[in-house]
Amino acid sequence: MTKQPLSRRDVLKLGGVAAGSAATLAAMKNFMSARAGSQIQTAVEENVVASTCHLCSAGCGILVRVADGKVVKLEGNPMHPVNQGSLCPKGQAAPELLYNPDRITSPMKRDRTTGQWTPIQWAEAIQLTADKLSALREAGHPEQAVLMHGDTRGQMRSFLTRFMQAVGSPNVVSHESLNIAAAKLGMYLTQGIYNLPAYDLENANYILSFGANLLEAGANPQRTIAGWTFGRRGRANRNKIVVIDPRQGIHGAKADEWIPIKPGTDAALALGMANVIIKSGLVDADFVKNYCFGFDNFASGGERKGFRDFVLENYDPIRVEQITGVPSTMIARLAGEFAGNGPSVAIMPGKGGLLNGGFGGVYTAMAVHMLNALVGSIEKEGGVMTQRYMPCANYPKLPSDSTAAKGLKTERIDGAGSKFPLGRNSYQSVADAILEGAPVEALFLYDANPAFETPGNKRVAEAFAKVPFVVSFSSFMDESAELADLILPEPTFLERWGDDHVEGLGYPGISLYQPVIEPLYDTLNTGDFFIKVAEAMGGSVAKAFPWKSYEEVLQFRLKDIGADWELLKELGVWFNPGYRFAKRGSPQWIESVVGAERLNAPRDGYFDLYSRELNCFVGKMKKDELAALGITMMGDGANLPHYEATVFAGDEAQYPFMLNVVTLMSLGPRSDAANMPTLQEISGMTVRETWDSWLEINPQSAEALGLVENDRVNIESPFGRISTQVKLVAGLRPDVVNMPFNQGHTAVGRYAKGRGVNGLEIINPASEPLTGLASFTNTRVKVSKS
Amino acid sequence: MANWCMVIDLEKCVACQACSVACRMENNTPVVSPEEAKNGRAIRWNDVFPLPVHIAPEQGEYPNVKTHYATRPCMHCENAPCVKTCPVQATYIDEEGIVRQNYDRCIGCRFCTVSCPYGVRYFNWYAPQWEGTLENHLNPDELSVNGSLEGPAVRPVGVVEKCTYCVHRLVKARERAAAEGREFRADEYVPACVQTCTGKARYFGDLDDPDSTVSQLSKSLRATHLLEDSGAHPKTLYLAEG
Repeated sequence: MTKQPLSRRDVLKLGGVAAGSAATLAAMKNFMSARAGSQIQTAVEENVVASTCHLCSAGCGILVRVADGKVVKLEGNPMHPVNQGSLCPKGQAAPELLYNPDRITSPMKRDRTTGQWTPIQWAEAIQLTADKLSALREAGHPEQAVLMHGDTRGQMRSFLTRFMQAVGSPNVVSHESLNIAAAKLGMYLTQGIYNLPAYDLENANYILSFGANLLEAGANPQRTIAGWTFGRRGRANRNKIVVIDPRQGIHGAKADEWIPIKPGTDAALALGMANVIIKSGLVDADFVKNYCFGFDNFASGGERKGFRDFVLENYDPIRVEQITGVPSTMIARLAGEFAGNGPSVAIMPGKGGLLNGGFGGVYTAMAVHMLNALVGSIEKEGGVMTQRYMPCANYPKLPSDSTAAKGLKTERIDGAGSKFPLGRNSYQSVADAILEGAPVEALFLYDANPAFETPGNKRVAEAFAKVPFVVSFSSFMDESAELADLILPEPTFLERWGDDHVEGLGYPGISLYQPVIEPLYDTLNTGDFFIKVAEAMGGSVAKAFPWKSYEEVLQFRLKDIGADWELLKELGVWFNPGYRFAKRGSPQWIESVVGAERLNAPRDGYFDLYSRELNCFVGKMKKDELAALGITMMGDGANLPHYEATVFAGDEAQYPFMLNVVTLMSLGPRSDAANMPTLQEISGMTVRETWDSWLEINPQSAEALGLVENDRVNIESPFGRISTQVKLVAGLRPDVVNMPFNQGHTAVGRYAKGRGVNGLEIINPASEPLTGLASFTNTRVKVSKS
Repeated sequence: MANWCMVIDLEKCVACQACSVACRMENNTPVVSPEEAKNGRAIRWNDVFPLPVHIAPEQGEYPNVKTHYATRPCMHCENAPCVKTCPVQATYIDEEGIVRQNYDRCIGCRFCTVSCPYGVRYFNWYAPQWEGTLENHLNPDELSVNGSLEGPAVRPVGVVEKCTYCVHRLVKARERAAAEGREFRADEYVPACVQTCTGKARYFGDLDDPDSTVSQLSKSLRATHLLEDSGAHPKTLYLAEG
């Protein structure tokens, strides 16, 4: 260390004056003793804080490196069971969210006539909100307050629901009708649990993914990636993975087999496989005879048709081949492989899948999930697990309040449970209801950007203009926040308290968010905001919230999980590892595995191959009533999983392609991620594109249209026209085109704005009549050179 | 002396690009403008891309097609062309088999970027910039060798930069071990991309240690190098798909 360092200029001098001389070389060799001469300088104060990532629905554990008070790096938390030390590109780029130059730095109010935003104090925001809600309560219409929320999990969801209940509104609307609700309903109508199943991917020998996009943007991408790669190379025998999806994508490319099925026909394929499994005697006889309802025909007010006869009569592989385009021999082979190489598992799509609202999506989810039952993969190693949760302390009973009680009895604004008999949330329908004249006086948007993320999003702005009081809690000025009267910025997930349930592994766990640094700006946790609003409102609403802060709410709710608050803060996650499979028919089976959450049908531990729950909704309906719900089957068929031909918007002759808007690993589901420059840069990797949107098309189709790579094209559906560039993708059905989700923002920030177009603009805005799901995959388009 | 090496299992790689972004956040590579990025000038020391690199009609006909993806850090070649062509010995192979870059010595001639068969060397055409508050997230680590900058502190305009197997992490790990008065162990050091890999497709360790995971994997029948015939004797190993 005594040697003077050579500067660049010195080296140049040396090179010029004494090139090749022995002395120079010696000097250089000396210089090259890198290990001895290495010196590292770094921050004075370093700290690592355990927390949880919030950039998609996986909820991975993170270890945040804080250097001199600045967040400089995120790593995966090795103790966290979902990601086990890994972290995806979104999580890695999270400092770009925290330090984003376009963050909103204080609460603001908008003047609707001029459109001008002016900063306000939090006290004013709290008072304005409390006054508005109090006025609604005084007028006897607390239900006219509506809260729409996005991927809000952990305690925040129940907290927000509690607040709205205390006020007296049943209108808490989750965005799940845009993504996972189809799969949840499929699970509910068969297994009687309203939740996504967890899959034991590590122990499965055979995985059949029905468009579940396990490697990019499924319901829990990091979890499914870990399970996938372990099954490939982490264990002695390699599993087999078959991907059924019109688009190959990364998961199809990495699978053993990719089956480009005709879009919207997955139910027929699953039932065709069921047909072969039954005919070949490969069913798990014990399971279907003793733990399933409706495999055989049964008598109940006359002879009823069971699953077996229904499937044998209707879904012969030859017929299924005509529907799906999958050869009958392949169907037979898949069925044999699936039933003969157990443990095997058939996976329903979650987020980013193809089920959603292709009209009949619920039947598809049921059909796919029933494959698991036929081969006895329910609650079995290598099969389907039921997600369990940490016991959270019950909230104190809400104070009795006649105004709230009256409000809570009103019909939900989104039509869930009324217009959409089976639906629990219909996010995109809120805008429709407002446009149809439903009175909404106050609208809260938490983690929600409906003006961007719903199909046919243009109508949302129109609807919100009719609501006199719109509040957004976004950290960015996104498309919906732009329409609001108040924007009350929440700190990013790195600056606030929160939690998340550990999901996807079956066993229960809690993952904690904590402020790894002091909030950068004048922001307020929305939980804290609502506590303050409750306080300002006084009366029964204030009584419902005896806590001083949202942190206290968390401490209260999580007091029984087995870790004290300090330990939870230190580790960032607490879980009870090891999933214990319930024995078939055991008390635990009945309490938590099969049938436990049925609202109408018996909770008797029978897996419904003939859905008794569905029978309670549609059993007594006449043909025209069923038709109005989009169901063409009559009688028993309506309760059994079956294939409903997709009703496309746009006829095939005029609009030859189906448009599929795909969520990417890079940009993910959240609008604010589109304003992270690194994610923009890597977003189009698969098609060699960056900072832009594109249209994926099969080269054969492109050739027929005279298109070459990078041509500008118009994409037109019955709902509108957009224009972007074309990318040739060989791994794609010739009758399907894809666009990436989360491009084409008109707001959010400098990196997101004006980057390509948003395909959802021209997607069918209709909702599935039975369930209120958004219809993502029944829009046809035509493509032409522009 | 260790011989550090990375092994990438392409079967487990799911092309998620976490490695690319982890590398960026660890090594302070700038985001270039969208226009530059479109021209292929994005600075990602570790990149992920579909294969073949150029669009080729021979990928097969639908439906019998399969896209392949590859991920590519520096190969840390044992006969590195970049080291041979560098006129000022700004790039060199250190005692532990890492091809390193000394930014104070680099004169920006770009001989190395041309000679590298893998395209892993990036020239800073512009002074790196982080808009507004974004620069707060920069990694404060600053490795110097005999007083000359070797990153990951921000490099100036006009020099070439590249993957260093996050060698500053090695130096830090050694310092930590020394401060705690114990022997440094090889598993205390992994590059950022290896640490974050979502599919656990990346392995790292001492190739000369017969018991290390990487040396075990190097004997796999799937083990191969990228452009093995390039003459550069690339060291970073791949395990082929299938």
